[in-house]
Amino acid sequence: MADKSFEAELERRFADAPSLPDADLFAVRVGAVLDRGWGLRRILIGGLGLAGGLIGGIQVLRLGVLARIGSLQTAPQTLVASGLAHFPHVRALADIVSSGSSMDIEVLWMSGGLAILAVGLFATRTFRDL
Amino acid sequence: MTQSLAERASAHDLDLVALAARGDRQAFGELVRRHGSAVRALLRRMGADPALADDLAQDAFLTAYEQIGDFRGEGPFQAWVKRIAARLYVRRWRRESRLTASEDMTELKAASDGALVESDARIDLDDALRQLAPAERVCVSLCYGAGFSHAEAAAALNAPLGTVKSHVKRGLDKLKARLAPSAKPLGLEANGHG
Repeated sequence: MADKSFEAELERRFADAPSLPDADLFAVRVGAVLDRGWGLRRILIGGLGLAGGLIGGIQVLRLGVLARIGSLQTAPQTLVASGLAHFPHVRALADIVSSGSSMDIEVLWMSGGLAILAVGLFATRTFRDL
Repeated sequence: MTQSLAERASAHDLDLVALAARGDRQAFGELVRRHGSAVRALLRRMGADPALADDLAQDAFLTAYEQIGDFRGEGPFQAWVKRIAARLYVRRWRRESRLTASEDMTELKAASDGALVESDARIDLDDALRQLAPAERVCVSLCYGAGFSHAEAAAALNAPLGTVKSHVKRGLDKLKARLAPSAKPLGLEANGHG
């Protein structure tokens, strides 16, 4: 019983740590490291994302992947065209989009995809910061 | 979404943890302000010098922030960070190979001699812990300061359970010899260790 009592007293003494005079300073220091780490991480992720996006985009364009995908789109386009026939306004918009060369359409699709990705990333980061 | 300074200062730890988990670094800063001293004090009591204790405490809080999603609120936030800090210290302590048999025996003898000379003096916990051998000090601090069970301490130290138990036993005996005359029994049941 005496041992248990001493152990309880020891735990109480360990828990009874005095507040150090530079407690606020320590908190500021930890906060600064946290902010610095977060800032560096943002720059790193942003930089890597930009570099990866550029490299990926250039490679996609150089290899002509989009042109090959475009050649596979004939059948779906016929299907879509027949469907759009029921909606004149949408059909008119589709005609505008498809009036350019095949390269223009590729760039348009790619830009659209990248824009959606960028908006998604921005929204995610914004919500996280809030 | 963000709280004012006064709101944060009066908020419960669990509320601050929830805010920090959503990325509110100011809420986490309040937790650091509240519990930083306790974590630093534990590390000093384990044997770290003040500068090392501050560095490790900082690392512990940064780790806690990274892993705050893992904190389930089953115990106090301070106890959780203390466990992280204690593990960081033990890892460093083991790396520096302070746990050697010869050192243990040398300091054990020195501590025993010191206990005989100063047994009637009123010595606080910090001074009493300094008289223990490093292994005893770490084991006692892990079990009574950071809330480790003997088995958890043995795993953290990568040491046999029996060795840890004997370090704790010897450490307790020495502490009791130095602290008991001034200690006021609380009549509380101790938490089980083992």
